[in-house]
Amino acid sequence: MTTLPAIRLKPLVWHPHLPPVELAEATDRQLQAMRVTPSAKKVSPYVRTLAHDPDSYVARTELFNAIMYVRDGLPRADRELGALAASTVNGCRYCAVVHARQHANLSQSDHVVSALMLDRPDALSSRDRAIYEFGQALSVTPSRAGPDHIAALKANGLSDIEIIDLIHAIAIFGWANRLMHPLGHSEPAISTREKP
Amino acid sequence: MPNKVHERPDAIDLAADIAPGSPIFEARAFRPEFVEGAEACRRAVLAPEEDLGLSSGLRAAIALRSAVHNKNTALIERYGADCERHELDVAQHELARGADPETLTGVHAALASHTDMICLRPREARADHLQALLSAGLTVPQVIALSELLAFVNFESRIVDGLSLLETT
Repeated sequence: MTTLPAIRLKPLVWHPHLPPVELAEATDRQLQAMRVTPSAKKVSPYVRTLAHDPDSYVARTELFNAIMYVRDGLPRADRELGALAASTVNGCRYCAVVHARQHANLSQSDHVVSALMLDRPDALSSRDRAIYEFGQALSVTPSRAGPDHIAALKANGLSDIEIIDLIHAIAIFGWANRLMHPLGHSEPAISTREKP
Repeated sequence: MPNKVHERPDAIDLAADIAPGSPIFEARAFRPEFVEGAEACRRAVLAPEEDLGLSSGLRAAIALRSAVHNKNTALIERYGADCERHELDVAQHELARGADPETLTGVHAALASHTDMICLRPREARADHLQALLSAGLTVPQVIALSELLAFVNFESRIVDGLSLLETT
C-alpha cells in the first residue's frame, strides 16, 4: 500500500440557521417524534430543528438507522465510505468529517481518509476505489453511475445484497446532506483561539 | 398500518423496472426494513397526516420538478400522474413542469429556485436561501417539510437509478 501522511480530522459542531423547536413549547407529536419528555435536557439542535415536521423526522430516522446499522450484508466501514463519497459531492462538510472519522474507527486505519483528503484516489485499494467512485457518480444530479461502476463492484467481490446496501447508504446521504448543509453551518468542536 | 409488510412489486420495483422473481427482486426481500422504510418516508413527505399547510398537490408538484432534475423517467411519469390527480392550479402546474423561476411569482418562484438549487447544487446552499423562503411567506415548519420532501426525491432517484443499473448489469 502507498505510504501517505496520516490525516486525522477533528470533530465539528453543527448550528442551525433556523430556530429549533423549544422543548417547553413542543407539541405531543413533536415530543413523541424526538422520543423525549418535556423534562429532557439533552436533545441536539439538529433533532429539534427537524422536529418541526415530526412525521418525516420519525420515518427518515428509522430508515437511516436501518440503512447504516442493520446487521450482515455490506461491512459498516464500506457504508461509511459510501456516505463519505456522497457528502463530498454534495458539499456537506459536517457529514464528511463525521463519516470519515467513523470509517477510520471501523477500519482501524487512517489510510483511506488520508488518501481522499490528499486527493490521491490512486492510493486506494481497488475495492475501496470502486465503492468511492460509484458513490460519487451516483450522487451527482442527474446520476452519472453506469454499468462500469457496477461491474467494478462485482469484480471486487461485492454481492447483489452488498451492492443494494451500498446504494442505500449513498442515497440516504443524498438525503442527509441536503438537510444538514442547507439548514445549518458547522465549526470545529474545540476552540483554537490561542494566542499566537 | 406501520407493521404491515408492504406488497411487492412496490413503487421502487416498478420505477426501477425490477421484474418479480429476478435476482434483484429477491435480493431486496433480504432488507424488508429498507422496503418498508422507503414507503413510510414517501407517505411522510408526500401525504403526511399533518400537512403543515403544504397541500398534497403542491408537494406532488415539487416532487415532479425534482424528478425532472434527476432525469428519472419512471419517477417523472409517477409524479406527473400524481399531479394530474391533484388538479393543480396554473402556478403549481408551471412549478411542477420546471418553468424558469423568473417566470413565476411569489411563493412559487421561491419554491422553484430552492428546488433547483437543492437538487442540482446543494453545496451552494447558504442561510439567505432559507431567508428567501421565509420572506416569500413560508413558516419554519414548512421550510423543514420542504427540505425533507426535496431530499426524499433525491434519495428515491438514487435508489431507483442504482437498482435499475444492478438489474441490467
